[in-house]
Amino acid sequence: MGLIQRMAEEAGFVTISMGNDAERMAKIKPPRALRVKFGRGSMFGEPGNVERQRRILMDALEALRTMEVPGTIRELPYPWRRPD
Amino acid sequence: MSIDLETFKAAYAKWVEEGLADFQAGNVLEVVKRYPLIVSEEVPWTPYKGSPSQQTLALVTSGGLYLKGTQPPFDTASIHGDPSFREIPKTARQEDFGIAHAHFDHSLAERDINVIFPLQRLIELERDNLIGRVAQMHYSFSYVNDAVSLITDSVPTLLRKLKTDKVDLLLLVPV
Repeated sequence: MGLIQRMAEEAGFVTISMGNDAERMAKIKPPRALRVKFGRGSMFGEPGNVERQRRILMDALEALRTMEVPGTIRELPYPWRRPD
Repeated sequence: MSIDLETFKAAYAKWVEEGLADFQAGNVLEVVKRYPLIVSEEVPWTPYKGSPSQQTLALVTSGGLYLKGTQPPFDTASIHGDPSFREIPKTARQEDFGIAHAHFDHSLAERDINVIFPLQRLIELERDNLIGRVAQMHYSFSYVNDAVSLITDSVPTLLRKLKTDKVDLLLLVPV
């Protein structure tokens, strides 16, 4: 995913990626990224949590507009409650 | 991209040779730790201009999504992974998706695909004029280690499609 993002950014698209593993993200060095506290396979939080999903997309749009330093990774505060 | 493909190819071939038996035995995480990741020091950058409310956004996931019945699933057995991608139209809905990816728990996405592919939420943002246009086509990759095929074939093809569709912004969601 990191490779695809970097190639897209280089080709002139403005890109942002999601991630949940600080160590891995530091290695991949995405142009812009949001880091969440959610588990694998659920980068937008709990299934059915429409408000949370929307909030994170709004965060992503805001980050696209405002991040100015290549390689910026912003941590989002939302807690993870793995559903039963 | 300032990547020395020949150097990577040699490192990758060695990685496959040394890791194949472990990979096939299911010790995927151990093998992946030794993967010769390609990352140039310089971070590519396209400055942002404009407003999302005037722009077109597309989603790219590596969640192994495909359309059941009309698209083949990804190869989930090979150590190379599967470098191909599937085109997911804006009209796709929960019941249309299959997931072919051997290395994450699908159960949450099977309940609500928006947790890895928030297409419905994006359509709502488009309706609320917070995004100008949600692209007609979105894209899914799956698990892939064969970066040479990505660099020389799949990703250039993807980028041409995104350009043709006049996409400005890309949101990439791994699993």
